[in-house]
Amino acid sequence: MYDMNKQETAVTQKEIKFSARDVQVYYGDAHAIKDVSVELEDKTVTAFIGPSGCGKSSFLRCLNRMNDTIDICRVEGDIKLDGEDIYHKAVDPVQLRARVGMVFQKPNPFPKSIYDNVAYGPRIHGLARTKADLDEIVEKALRRGAIWDEVKDRLSAPGTGLSGGQQQRLCIARAVATEPEVLLMDEPCSALDPIATAQVEELIDELRKSYSLVIVTHSMQQAARVSQKTAFFHLGSLVEYGETAQIFTNPVDERTESYITGRIG
Amino acid sequence: MSDVMSNPGRGLQTQDARARRRHRAEVRFRAYGVMAIATGLILLVILLGTIVSNGTGAFRQAFVEIDVYLDPAKLDKKGNRDIADIKKVSTFGYAPLAQQALLAEIEARGIETPLRKAKEMKNLLSSSAAAQMRDLVIAQPEMIGQTVSFRLLASSRVDGYLKGRVMRENIAKDKNISVEQLDLTDALIQAGVITSGFNMAFITGSDASESRPEQAGIGVSMLGSLFMMVVVLVLSLPIGVAASIYLEEFAPKNRLTDLIEVNISNLAAVPSIVFGILGLAVFIQFAHLPQSAPLVGGLVLTLMTLPTVIISTRAALKAVPPSIRDAALGVGASKMQSVFHHVLPLAMPGILTGTILGLAQALGETAPLLLIGMVGYVATNYPGGLASGFLDPNSAMPAQIYEWAKRADPAFYERAWGGIMILLAFLLMMNIIAILLRRRFERRW
Repeated sequence: MYDMNKQETAVTQKEIKFSARDVQVYYGDAHAIKDVSVELEDKTVTAFIGPSGCGKSSFLRCLNRMNDTIDICRVEGDIKLDGEDIYHKAVDPVQLRARVGMVFQKPNPFPKSIYDNVAYGPRIHGLARTKADLDEIVEKALRRGAIWDEVKDRLSAPGTGLSGGQQQRLCIARAVATEPEVLLMDEPCSALDPIATAQVEELIDELRKSYSLVIVTHSMQQAARVSQKTAFFHLGSLVEYGETAQIFTNPVDERTESYITGRIG
Repeated sequence: MSDVMSNPGRGLQTQDARARRRHRAEVRFRAYGVMAIATGLILLVILLGTIVSNGTGAFRQAFVEIDVYLDPAKLDKKGNRDIADIKKVSTFGYAPLAQQALLAEIEARGIETPLRKAKEMKNLLSSSAAAQMRDLVIAQPEMIGQTVSFRLLASSRVDGYLKGRVMRENIAKDKNISVEQLDLTDALIQAGVITSGFNMAFITGSDASESRPEQAGIGVSMLGSLFMMVVVLVLSLPIGVAASIYLEEFAPKNRLTDLIEVNISNLAAVPSIVFGILGLAVFIQFAHLPQSAPLVGGLVLTLMTLPTVIISTRAALKAVPPSIRDAALGVGASKMQSVFHHVLPLAMPGILTGTILGLAQALGETAPLLLIGMVGYVATNYPGGLASGFLDPNSAMPAQIYEWAKRADPAFYERAWGGIMILLAFLLMMNIIAILLRRRFERRW
């Protein structure tokens, strides 16, 4: 399914999308993320792996400022998207989130029709002038989400009536409908069965052509299958970051090796 | 499990002592539950049965159907049919006409009675019968000189006799009715002069003075309640929902908001009479709003209802899963868009139910109304318009019921029960509306 040697040479020329320097995250007094510096490449799938509570989800949520919704959360350090500091005072998190979409762990379609689920983002961002434009955007997003063929005859049916895997693909379609540049995925397959997981993974591989993707996962096999770059987090620190093939075959750090071989975690 | 395996002699189908004990405890507990529910149901049946059996009387009323000659010599002495002159004749001028007409009716039908004087008919007719005739004459002065069929209210004693409330053995000291008059009543019922019919005036009419319970109705105070509910709804829904949304979705969690939260919960438990005295001090003594006005009543009840609305709205907002908020924020919706597009519609059934239950609570509230004067004798007719509906003195249903229950005449007591039936009907209606709205919004996509 995945040729590691070929990818290794391919990803090195890509430009940097996100660059983080000395990022610290505190929840109240708890220091959840310590000194994380990382550069995420464009048109690449980057996987964040690590044991539960290691801060990978917290760091992911820093990238589109979803942590802002948590009162006690404090973020320090620099995170730049295309060279712009996303925590700068002048940045509107709403605009940021339109450029950095997110897919969550549990499929969370709105309790509205399939069409409205996908159309919501374009509507609030004013991406469509006419109904026909909107129809087109919705169809394109659903095709990208690899769910168009399954739902094209029942666009007015409730999105919550779909199966778990379909719901998650609908959520991905909803996220891509606003034409983001980066797509963050927080354990997108943890609530899905193997078949639905395979569909979503295939989709991720497809989306890599147009977006930069960051995926948090608990499954190391998944990280190995879908990503080109992997970052290993442990106890709030970024332990190792590099080519996926290298991390899984020849890790530099001892902790990384212990984790991927199943000794810790 | 291991127990069973180590004792091969005991199968799954025989219970050991422990299982039996557990089983008995469960059966006992279920029995307690059934008993508790049965007790509740029995008490409810007794309550409703008492209300219905005491209150249905208020919806029936005895009438005296007679033809009255509207004597021009008495009603229009100058003979010029001038409305100003006609209005000068008070109800005292009309009462003898009705009494004479009743006496004439008795003679015409050949009913035997020791009562030979017109004055002795007084106790059979309501004192409002004269007012009924006068109202007609003032409305249509050309009727003077004609003989008109009237359906006059019977006195409360005759009405009570028909309903079994007044009996021969307990009227010995009653100056308002005698045994002879009751005999005559029997004969008149036989002759079809005194009839009993549905009492529409009880539902539509206004309160009446102590001496004529047969005329009292709950209609005007019903309107008073309606105007108050309009005020409560218009104020408490937007204020309550806005406050809850702010507190639940936007406010930072700190000492101040904690304090506000605790205080809202405490306010919900404050006795309503406290809100009444607050309303008296603030709205009437300080802001100089009119006393006894539904506007002030509504303001006071709004204060009382707000905590209920806020608490139930916040509960409804809390019940919306956070994943929906994340989803909205994730596609780049602002906080406000996520609340108004997604959270609020999902919380709507809960908010509406809470608001209607708050309204129902306000509708049945009496104590605060006592303090702002929305209780007492309000026998005015219907308010002339919207403004006067909000600003003119009025009563409210529960206050009216309280007033009637206080009065001496048992006929008023009966009306109090009848009023409670109407009040309960309204509460039932509001609950049904709450359920229907809930269903409707839950199906919405």
